[in-house]
Amino acid sequence: MGDNKKNNRNKIRNDIIFVAVLLFAAVVGILYLFVFRESGNTVKVTRGGELYGIYSLSEDITEDIHTVNGGLNRLVIKDGKAFVDSASCPDGICVAHPPVFRNGESIVCLPNKVVVTVISENDGDSPDIIA
Amino acid sequence: MEYFDTVITIVGYEDTQEKFDAVADEILSELGEYHRLYSIYHRFAGIENLCTINELVNGSHRTVKVDKRIVDMLIYAKEMYELTDGMVNIAMGSVLSLWHDYRELGGDDPAQAALPPTDKLKAAAQHTDITNLMIDEENCTVTLTDPQMKLDVGAVAKGYATEMVARKLEEKGVTGYVLNVGGNIRTVGTKPDGEKWTVGIEKPNGEDYLAYLELNGESVVTSGSYQRYYIVDGKRYHHIIHPDTQMPAEGFTSVSVVCKDSGLGDALSTALFCLPLDKGIELIESMPGVEAMWVDEQGEKTVSSGFSDYVKE
Repeated sequence: MGDNKKNNRNKIRNDIIFVAVLLFAAVVGILYLFVFRESGNTVKVTRGGELYGIYSLSEDITEDIHTVNGGLNRLVIKDGKAFVDSASCPDGICVAHPPVFRNGESIVCLPNKVVVTVISENDGDSPDIIA
Repeated sequence: MEYFDTVITIVGYEDTQEKFDAVADEILSELGEYHRLYSIYHRFAGIENLCTINELVNGSHRTVKVDKRIVDMLIYAKEMYELTDGMVNIAMGSVLSLWHDYRELGGDDPAQAALPPTDKLKAAAQHTDITNLMIDEENCTVTLTDPQMKLDVGAVAKGYATEMVARKLEEKGVTGYVLNVGGNIRTVGTKPDGEKWTVGIEKPNGEDYLAYLELNGESVVTSGSYQRYYIVDGKRYHHIIHPDTQMPAEGFTSVSVVCKDSGLGDALSTALFCLPLDKGIELIESMPGVEAMWVDEQGEKTVSSGFSDYVKE
């Protein structure tokens, strides 16, 4: 049983897993992001549907993301976790979101159309999808 | 924020990116069609949708000939009204639009954030009788006979559309996919190695998981007070409005429903959020193949009798 599970896991690793995350706005589906699950502990940032950048969670950074609507989201990576430190959006839901670091977790700023998603190697304990 | 204006995640296993692209494109295109039909905030050239059903012409609603997918969803929503003893009522649009407008204003300018006046809410509540939604199934027409009533399908349509898209995939023999349409998670088959999908349900504070579920073709839908809200005088007011009080439902921070049908899960998670715990348990235990998890405002977790079957050891 244990061996089977291990084999299955290896098989999963060998498969390419594609993840598409998109902001589905009123008129157009905005973004399309494909990633390989085996890409290590990183966060991917998309802005207005386009890939904006990929950052390692192991390096502390502050990145000002100038958004498509003229706004700003400040992404901070610190101690292996990513969070939005400040933002021009009216609701502030992205700023209130707790730091993300687990595979698949994301912070979404709908007004500014910015999505921050954690993409990590699946260690077998991470869920396939998060609600 | 527009309804359906949400994040959609598609995870799937294919041999090549091209194959995945083709399936993902199809899913998005289908969801886009449902979005245009079910939007209550936007009109789209050349189609009658819920927004045009809601609009008044010379002081009354028109009889509108609509796509069958609208009729089918509205009939389903009426069934959900019966099933949940009125806790899911798509005829509450006049009440919900007041909350929507005040939430938008409060979000744009927090200093001016205010609650909708009680007299306005009570007046709007007089126009929420679902029997005034007339559906002619044969001719595919819809009429609202009360000029002051409006439809709001926020508690049903997203889950219903997710379910319809998932079923179409299943009919085509697609397997190995999971869709997350704004919190409505629907698995389509197992993973290629036959293993079940694991779904992490986040705690409202996002710091940990409430539960890890293992699903194999089922849905899980969570309604939470933390998903959409605004703040008035330091207090949070969330978006799930109780039909009897016209105020945000109290008692729970999150309710998750596991069942095959994502439309049913969507409706039931809203209903359970509004029902007292004992009534909610009674409802869920009376339905085969449906399980639920409630988390109250103190963080106390309650699960239905078969919920643990889905929990990953």
